[in-house]
Amino acid sequence: MKRIKNGFSGLTVIKVLIYIFFGLFMLLPLFSVFIVSFTGQPTNLLGALTDSTIFNSTLEKLKGISLESYKKVFSNSGYLTALKNSLLLAFLVMIIVILVCIPLAYGIARTKMPFKKTISALCMIPLIVPTFISAYAFIIMFGRAGWVTQIYNALGGEGMLLNPYSMAGVVVVQVFFFFPYALWPLVAAFKVSDISLEEASLNLGAKSWFTFVFVTFPLALPGVISSALLIFTVSFSDFGTPIVLAPKELNLLVVEAYREISGFFNWGGAAILTVVMVIVAAFFFYLQHLFTKGKNYGSVSGKPKQQKLVENKLVNRSLSLYSLLIVLVPLLAMLSVALQSVATTWGKDLLPSGYTLNHYKTIFSTSMGNIQNSIMLATGALVLSVIIATFVSYFVVRQNSAKLDFMTSIPLVVPGIAFGIALIQTFNTAPLQLTGTALLLIIAYTIRRLPYMVRSTMGSMRAIKQDIEEAAINLGATPLTAAITIVGPLMLPGIAAGSVLVFVTVIKETSISVLLAPPEWAPMSLAIFQNILRAEYYSAAAMSVVLVVLVLALQGIANLLSRKQQLK
Amino acid sequence: MGSVKIQNMTKTFGDFTALHDINLDIKEGEFFALLGPSGCGKTTTMRCVAGFENPTSGSIYIGDREVENVPANKRNCGMVFQSYALFPHMDVFDNVAYSLNIKHLNASNPIKRLSIFGRLLSKRLGKYPDDIRNKVMEILEYVELDQHANRLTSELSGGQQQRVALARALVMEPAVLLMDEPLSNLDQKLRHSMRNTIRTIQQDLGITTIFVTHDQEEAMSMADRVAVMDKGHIVQIGTPTDLYSNPQTPFIANFVGTSNILKGTVAAEENGMTVMKGEGFQLKSSNKAKNKDVDIIIRPEHVRVEPADSVIDPLQTNVIEGEVIMSTYLGSIVRYDVQVGSYQLIVDTTYSSGANIFQEGKKVKLTVDHERVLLI
Ligand SMILES: Nc1ncnc2c1ncn2[C@@H]1O[C@H](COP(=O)(O)OP(=O)(O)OP(=O)(O)O)[C@@H](O)[C@H]1O
Ligand SMILES: [Mg+2]
Repeated sequence: MKRIKNGFSGLTVIKVLIYIFFGLFMLLPLFSVFIVSFTGQPTNLLGALTDSTIFNSTLEKLKGISLESYKKVFSNSGYLTALKNSLLLAFLVMIIVILVCIPLAYGIARTKMPFKKTISALCMIPLIVPTFISAYAFIIMFGRAGWVTQIYNALGGEGMLLNPYSMAGVVVVQVFFFFPYALWPLVAAFKVSDISLEEASLNLGAKSWFTFVFVTFPLALPGVISSALLIFTVSFSDFGTPIVLAPKELNLLVVEAYREISGFFNWGGAAILTVVMVIVAAFFFYLQHLFTKGKNYGSVSGKPKQQKLVENKLVNRSLSLYSLLIVLVPLLAMLSVALQSVATTWGKDLLPSGYTLNHYKTIFSTSMGNIQNSIMLATGALVLSVIIATFVSYFVVRQNSAKLDFMTSIPLVVPGIAFGIALIQTFNTAPLQLTGTALLLIIAYTIRRLPYMVRSTMGSMRAIKQDIEEAAINLGATPLTAAITIVGPLMLPGIAAGSVLVFVTVIKETSISVLLAPPEWAPMSLAIFQNILRAEYYSAAAMSVVLVVLVLALQGIANLLSRKQQLK
Repeated sequence: MGSVKIQNMTKTFGDFTALHDINLDIKEGEFFALLGPSGCGKTTTMRCVAGFENPTSGSIYIGDREVENVPANKRNCGMVFQSYALFPHMDVFDNVAYSLNIKHLNASNPIKRLSIFGRLLSKRLGKYPDDIRNKVMEILEYVELDQHANRLTSELSGGQQQRVALARALVMEPAVLLMDEPLSNLDQKLRHSMRNTIRTIQQDLGITTIFVTHDQEEAMSMADRVAVMDKGHIVQIGTPTDLYSNPQTPFIANFVGTSNILKGTVAAEENGMTVMKGEGFQLKSSNKAKNKDVDIIIRPEHVRVEPADSVIDPLQTNVIEGEVIMSTYLGSIVRYDVQVGSYQLIVDTTYSSGANIFQEGKKVKLTVDHERVLLI
């Protein structure tokens, strides 16, 4: 009772507002998509609450609820193959990424291999490039007129080395651009697995490969499995690669759902695909959670032990060579995009026939708006997520609000396309007709990227001792004033780190932009995407370079800031 | 204005009762210590007064005001936290000025509020008015920190941080000053000098103070009155001398100073004397026993040690025979452990140079005056 009276009114209002925000823009859309997947027709749940005629017609539709549409769908071979293909794709990418990453992670974590710093730095490239740009880069390299294909043919090969417009193409792109997501957790797992056990094994006379297979690897296994599951979810939810590369006959869930909405306005079908996507992604996310739970690597043995790094020259050199080859691919892909952006024409020969800056001139004269839009939308999402995340972490850490904690992690399991479809469906009509507004776009970006922000702010919130806050209250501040003047400033480092992440990911965001952005608010990612679809490759390349440079610059600023923080 | 009264306060956490029916009556200007072992509920009591915990039942008065419905930020209790809880992103001056800023904030219009928020977030965003500046500098001078006004708190020594915390609490002119083990983070030497500093300031300002500690020496040397707590109960309240000379339970006798506690039974009452017998001893006391079975308390410094062959009149004082097991120098005193029957008694004697020290294994006679034998 008194707790509430303790001047909590300000904070309570904010908590309620946050619940309303999530309820309205996340739970309601997901719930109505769920309903629509049964009724097969658009359902206006918000309208039903405010308007009696809509209410009645909604009731009618709800009466028509049946598993009919699900039956139809699963007899629809198209959807079923889409599901099978999507699962197969994610599975292949998962297996290959793990196989590719294990030597790489071992090299970084446990050896003194040459060029380790360079390799680590190059591993960041895939993380800053939107996947549809990577997919498109692979077309420049491996396409019919790609330079790799030309080299391949010159060496006597027939046709294409790898057809980018195929399942294999999608798999290869995803492998090379998603592997860092698994790499760093794997590096961490290799770093902490108890080295004394390995030494014991070596002391007993075991060969080092034997030690790796039977001691090191099993110790790192939970980390490996958890990374694998993460990759599965990432690949399964990825929209950028399939939309650019998947050929007509290769059905994939994300593409299929996108086509149902943007091509046919088939709400029922899109809703079912959305529900299936969310269920699959949530399931794998849950599995991953099971594996990471209770396995806090940092605390395995209290203090990190001084680890002996492998010094064997042969092992180190071959690991280094292998790692360089892996990280070279994304680098070459990006260089190809950069080269195309300054080429007059490129395709007949190995190198462009001439060089020009005209493409940049063009985009700076015609597409300046897209760049501005991107920055404004990202700023909007940033501000919103800073505010929400700060308060959410306050409620979660100080008031043990498990519900909010759970709620803010839901976006992690909802693929972008699925979330976009849910939002469009819900806010298509009055009373809240937001589809096609910048506001809905910003809200969508915010919700989708909020988990990253919340993690970052929650970390610094945990580091602030409760009594510091109590001291402020004791000195006369209301809890809200204490939150603003004491807690807020102390959380700044966490907020700054999270902000960059949000900003960068929003600028890269594809699926939400493609589905929700109105023409007058088209961000860079959408403009590039449309250019690629229209085969305007040169301006797409120039714009991609601008986007990547922007992201790089931001990341650089963030690194600088965090280094300053550490120096303090 | 500054008195604190706690009536029948109980506090439970889930099904664990941390405080049982606490009653305290702290007078205005009094330096009151809460003393007890770890986990006995001292902090909880203090947090209830400050408003960070709500008593499960019972009431608290600060001055004449019942504070049940007064939120923590309106109770006007200055609190010094065990960890000091200084604001790490502010310098010494801003830390101390915080409560004054908040007072201004609550008393201004929305536009002025913005500028106060500004200076709460960063010095560069708003200027301090002279009255705040003067008041802060005055209190900083008072705790001898005016030289360090612009240092970050992390750049101060433990004792200096302690004084910032004190100044920050004092500047708001609180009705009550609450201190939760304020000295426990300091080293031995500093602790002694801070005891004096705090006591002097408290006397100087005449501010009602509740001081939590588990160090009996601290409580006894600083406080006007002490409440001894154990397992959520208040066991005894009294002045330090009162607690020392009249402990009401063996727990207190042991907790407040060192005691020899013997079990005995009352054998007779004669000439205003209580005669008791126990394992290997017989004692007379001029104090009255409440029950037949008694705990006999004898303070180590009230026992004298004499050679075994000395002649002492048993009517004047108690004489007990024993054997020295150990003797230890403790600065100006010598502490003996003496075996008497099944008990080992602790005896403290002042040491003057050249005096005879009884070696281990030596038979001795111990004497204790009748009025020094306390009965519980
Ligand atoms: N929030 C809480 N929830 C549950 N139990 C609590 C809580 N706060 C305190 N307690 C319990 O209440 C009892 C008294 O705690 P309190 O902090 O008042 O002890 P203390 O006398 O200050 O001890 P110390 O000298 O160690 O600081 C302890 O057993 C403690 O575990
Ligand atoms: Mg305590």
